[in-house]
Amino acid sequence: MSSSGNWEAVIGLEVHVQLRTQTKMFCGCINQYGGAPNSQVCPVCLGMPGSLPAPNEEAIRRTILTGLMFGCRIANVARFDRKNYFYPDMPKNYQISQFDDPLCAGGAVGLDPFLFPKDLQETDEAKAKRSIRLTRIHLEEDVAKSFHYEERSGIDFNRAGTPLMEIVSEADLRTAGEAFAFLGSLRQVLLSGNVSDADMEKGQMRCDVNVSVRPVGQKEFGTKVELKNLNSISGVRRALVYEIARQIAAVEKGEAIQHETRRWDDEAGATFTMRTKEKAHDYRYFPEPDLLPVRTDQGLRAAAESGLPELPAALQDRLMRENGVTAYQASVLAADRILCTYYEKAALGTQHKAVVANWILNDFLATQPEPASSPVRPEFFGELADLVAGGTINSAQAKKVFAELMANPSSPKALVEKLGLAQISDASALGVYCDEAIAANPRSVEDYRAGKGNAINALKGFVMKKSQGKANPAQVDEILKAKLSA
Amino acid sequence: MSLAHETLASLRRRLVAKEIHPRDIIKDLLAQIDAREKTVHAFTHLDGQAALATAEKADLSLPLGGLPIALKDNLNALGDPCTCSSKILEGYRAPYDATAVARLRQAGALFLGRTNMDEFAMGSSTENSALGVTRNPWDSTRIPGGSSGGSAAAVAGRLAIAALGSDTGGSIRQPAALCGCVGLKPTYGRISRYGLVAFASSLDQIGPLTRTVEDSALLLSALAGHDPRDNTTDLRKPETFLAKPTGSVKGLRIGLPKEYFLPGMNAETEASIRSAASWFEKNGATLVEVSLPHTPAAIAVYYILATAEASANLARFDGVRYGRRAVDPKDLLDLYQRTRSEGFGPEVKRRIILGTFVLSQGYSDAFYRKAQKVRGLLRQDFESAFTKCDLLLTPTSPEPAFPLGERTQDPLKMYLADVFTISTNLAGNGAISLPCGFTKSNLPIGLQLIGPRFGEETMLGAAHAFEQAHDFWKRMPPV
Amino acid sequence: MSVPKLNVADVAGLARLSLTPDETTKFSSQLSQILAHMETLGQIGTGDVPEVVPPAQPALRKDIPTPSLTVEAALSNAPAQSNDLILVPKIVE
Ligand SMILES: [Zn+2]
Repeated sequence: MSSSGNWEAVIGLEVHVQLRTQTKMFCGCINQYGGAPNSQVCPVCLGMPGSLPAPNEEAIRRTILTGLMFGCRIANVARFDRKNYFYPDMPKNYQISQFDDPLCAGGAVGLDPFLFPKDLQETDEAKAKRSIRLTRIHLEEDVAKSFHYEERSGIDFNRAGTPLMEIVSEADLRTAGEAFAFLGSLRQVLLSGNVSDADMEKGQMRCDVNVSVRPVGQKEFGTKVELKNLNSISGVRRALVYEIARQIAAVEKGEAIQHETRRWDDEAGATFTMRTKEKAHDYRYFPEPDLLPVRTDQGLRAAAESGLPELPAALQDRLMRENGVTAYQASVLAADRILCTYYEKAALGTQHKAVVANWILNDFLATQPEPASSPVRPEFFGELADLVAGGTINSAQAKKVFAELMANPSSPKALVEKLGLAQISDASALGVYCDEAIAANPRSVEDYRAGKGNAINALKGFVMKKSQGKANPAQVDEILKAKLSA
Repeated sequence: MSLAHETLASLRRRLVAKEIHPRDIIKDLLAQIDAREKTVHAFTHLDGQAALATAEKADLSLPLGGLPIALKDNLNALGDPCTCSSKILEGYRAPYDATAVARLRQAGALFLGRTNMDEFAMGSSTENSALGVTRNPWDSTRIPGGSSGGSAAAVAGRLAIAALGSDTGGSIRQPAALCGCVGLKPTYGRISRYGLVAFASSLDQIGPLTRTVEDSALLLSALAGHDPRDNTTDLRKPETFLAKPTGSVKGLRIGLPKEYFLPGMNAETEASIRSAASWFEKNGATLVEVSLPHTPAAIAVYYILATAEASANLARFDGVRYGRRAVDPKDLLDLYQRTRSEGFGPEVKRRIILGTFVLSQGYSDAFYRKAQKVRGLLRQDFESAFTKCDLLLTPTSPEPAFPLGERTQDPLKMYLADVFTISTNLAGNGAISLPCGFTKSNLPIGLQLIGPRFGEETMLGAAHAFEQAHDFWKRMPPV
Repeated sequence: MSVPKLNVADVAGLARLSLTPDETTKFSSQLSQILAHMETLGQIGTGDVPEVVPPAQPALRKDIPTPSLTVEAALSNAPAQSNDLILVPKIVE
């Protein structure tokens, strides 16, 4: 890696995303993971002779919504095509996909600095806030799942025909960290639109990577290698770090890069040749004659537009501007819609929205990582912030209330009473304590009057002790000073 | 007289009047089949007992209650075989009903017999069946036409009252013409294709083969209408066709496309068609000459697009999920190659190779995409012709039934005979073939009427008037 | 445009057909004859053929589940199965 300064990587991603729908792409079988083998199949998704595809409106709507979220151009007329190749996990031996006229073209994914790997968040590449162009987004059907045994493979067609969106990026990415941030940022937007759960570890989001290296400043691309078997966003990063270094080392030794597909082995931490691409596949694409072209300009696009969520970038801006949270907090909130909804409910009734963010993001998440199922109602955080700000309790007391809130969730006001914590802010009650303190500590009084300002602390300590810590410190300070200077 | 000679309409009247019981029809048909099926071989599968059992439960209050229909062997009917006359579907039992089958069932129809066909509907003679050839009931040394040859021979030979077929380039109309019955190819999108084993998806339509136009309309009324399972079906409301036939053709403008009347065509065929045209004129229609200038390109366009679609449609027959699987495959490639090479006959292989080629890299622009564009021109030809006339009148086939075996070694010559039927599939229009005469050697000749898209009502009305003014349809084949 | 050289065996391979030498020879000559006929399309001008205008949006399917086949029905036609999976020779990438 010593000379990596002279080389740059060129990376493009193809991301497959499972859409969240009730039914499959072209039939009414349920789209759900985990059913008994071949229990969610019908003549259509088994490719039985004579069956025909019936397109799922919701899958099309969600794909258009995705395109809108990334600023893609939405085709007025989109078409489905047949992609022909033989494979046992593909019932018809052609996949219904989109080739010439995809639903979405163009668009871009903005890289969120806080979705870079933690160790890179302070670097220039993270702060550059690059935007990565998309080539297209199209809709297709997923294939079945195969299980491999000694001599044979067994196929479960439950996944066959479920809706799958393919998002293709331009070769705009330059580093493994950017690829990591790209996938995280992509996922954040997909979650915000409720398009997919997009969890790579569950196979809901799958990623193929194309990567090549070239001398910095060169226009032409190097020979590209395709990486497969990437099962997590961090796995994509690790694989790229390895592969880029491998390619640089190879070209520096004067070796040619093979045009090939390599498999990432996460345990070995290395990529291995899977197959070399002597001959490009001839998929013989042609328009799917069983389906009429899809017109988006007669209601589909409008339906998608009406479902547009507040996008993560806009949400972050708003939270910083209106609620005064930090950029980092805004990014954490935008990344987790459930958490964000919880936070927004918590902050709704209080002026002290940044304080609420601190409570939730620092203290609350540490004890209860699943806010949605937490018995702690979000309004409690607003109440707690108001109690502190209004002087009912001090911050030390607030910590006690918070601990009790986690253990026995109920209204912080009630907890303050239950714990006997309410701060004494009543001037006449405090005046009595202060008089006692002055009477009992003549030396400190003398010292203070002689100009030793610190001497007042002994008097304050006396009051706090007498009041069992409930006295409002700021008020005590005020009263004591008034009495001593009288 | 045996009930096998009657029509759906006449049987229906007698059933409703309680003169006869559905089981009587089945029994008479089975008797005919016993006597003639050995010669004709119209069926690939027949279950008389099952038909008799359902006849007992027939609901005569339904529009087709108790009426038996034969099904071409490429239509899925729950629990029945559906071989497409191919070895590759050996042992396959349909796990579902085609929409057309379901609609007939809902209308009360019974099913008797699955009819022979060219393998996967690829052919014009029914000689490409892996399950034996079907013979023409008018002359058992001749072909019945194809691909719905079994359906046409069964209806003409009195082995069925009516049958369903499928038409991709003439596969209903040409055998109907050659066997002397009525064959209707509806407008593309009129009848759901769901459950019809696809040959060429953008061209295939299901349609009836019957002895009369009235029966054809009766079945069309039961079959037509949007199906959410077939995205290409039209959304218009269901209609009852030929509900009140006028029997008149007065005022109709009948177009004669000049490209369909060329020197060198079979003289007896031409004479019959010309005399049919003059019948229309004599009865108040006007004849107009029209032009469909891209007709000469139709066969090339058809065989490019149909085989391209077929190459994908037939990819699913791979021995994995159903049908025949090669014994002891040594690996996956071997499973695919041997299953398909052993399972498909020569014509199917030839067309799969052709279709694969015209889609392949480097050639799809010159063939597939070019053909799509010319298809657009053909469609325009029809649109502009129908601004000048209400119906087109043409021969269905350039010649009557030819002898068995005559063309099996010359596929191009076989393809060229589809010239009069193919363009309507490419343009999507509906068309009907009905008997309009016989040759001196007693072979039927078919007249084709082509309508504008979704113009079936006019087409059926004119065909009905012609039919009822003649008695060609009443003639019985000798076999 | 000249008649393209059709390598029947290659194209058959794409379609997962293996032909006997006899079939290869026969199909080669028949198909080149057919392709020669199809070549005539090249003479038709199609420069400004308007694209076929798609009809109004067809009925798309609402996202509401309908019953699937039973596992038994789904597998009833399968030539080889075990543990409710359809078996094939081992898939090797
Ligand atoms: Zn299904």
